[in-house]
Amino acid sequence: MNENIHERALQLIAQGRVEGIPEADRNWLRAHMEECEFCAEHARQTDSSLRLLRTAAIALPDGLASRTQFRVRLRAQELREREPKRRALWLACAVSWVFGVASAPYVWSLFQWLGQRTGVPKLVWEVGFGLWWSIPALFAVAVLLMESSRKGEQTDWINQGS
Amino acid sequence: MPGPTFFFSTLMGDEAKSIARGLQRRDPDLLDRLIEQYQYRLFRYLVYVTGSRERAEDFFQETWIRVLERGHQYDGKSKFEAWLFAIARHLVIDWQRSKKAQSLDTLTDPEQDHPLQLANENEPSPLHQVLRHETEENVQASLQKIPAIYREVLVLRFQEELQIDEMAGVLSVPISTVKSRLYRGLEVLRGALQGGVAS
Repeated sequence: MNENIHERALQLIAQGRVEGIPEADRNWLRAHMEECEFCAEHARQTDSSLRLLRTAAIALPDGLASRTQFRVRLRAQELREREPKRRALWLACAVSWVFGVASAPYVWSLFQWLGQRTGVPKLVWEVGFGLWWSIPALFAVAVLLMESSRKGEQTDWINQGS
Repeated sequence: MPGPTFFFSTLMGDEAKSIARGLQRRDPDLLDRLIEQYQYRLFRYLVYVTGSRERAEDFFQETWIRVLERGHQYDGKSKFEAWLFAIARHLVIDWQRSKKAQSLDTLTDPEQDHPLQLANENEPSPLHQVLRHETEENVQASLQKIPAIYREVLVLRFQEELQIDEMAGVLSVPISTVKSRLYRGLEVLRGALQGGVAS
């Protein structure tokens, strides 16, 4: 029998298990295996290996689900408690931003007037105005960074002891 | 007339959508149910991927915490288990990266000349630890011979029965890579189990 025929048969045996084969190929393979003991044995071994893999049992640790459920509930509670604080923070940022936009022309005039009164260079009071404008955003970024670093610390346990 | 396949896929789609809605709300009862429902499959997957029962236990808990925190990212368009396994795998990869500063794939893919296994070779094999039945001793010994990267795809395909495209999503690799790993893995499995069982 031609070597290529066996190669095709072995390839179809694997393909049939991995992704399936068309009806025509299945019929061809069946006919081939009726004549070829080597390929038939290969198919039997493949099926038997997959059966063994499927039936390999892994024992679950005692109470794994309940311990996990407990931890998840604790974390959910923690997130729920943190939610109002987070909302308040964002609300404060939004109010501050709205107020900043609304009052910008007045604050600009104020900085300009102060600059003229004190005689500081134009660039200085313009930078001062810029800082005043960006402080709420910088504050929000600082809070978010602190939160994310705290989160990082919480997940560090997974890297420990490994 | 719609066939049973259509009926079941619609049913599964509805189930996935309802899980997605529950996760958006961080519904604790839903999470309890999911933990119960998927505990065996997730734990088994983690044991195969991490190579350690204790580590799998840690990752199991951390995966569900992550599901709680990132639940809003699940849109219900794919199978929940595929998303769950992807989360678990990413956690393991992060841990591997922090440990070895290399990715899971480069660590485990023998085709990339990095035939390192996920399991620490100095530790007892996970399968030694987890497969308790005496009758399975031969199988257990044989499965140890399979590199983790192949064990992973074999588990996802033949134990979890994920589709190849779903596996590609979980593993973040092209479908062609999944297929080539499966074909190679099947060959290695056959060799390992037939040799192991026979011996």
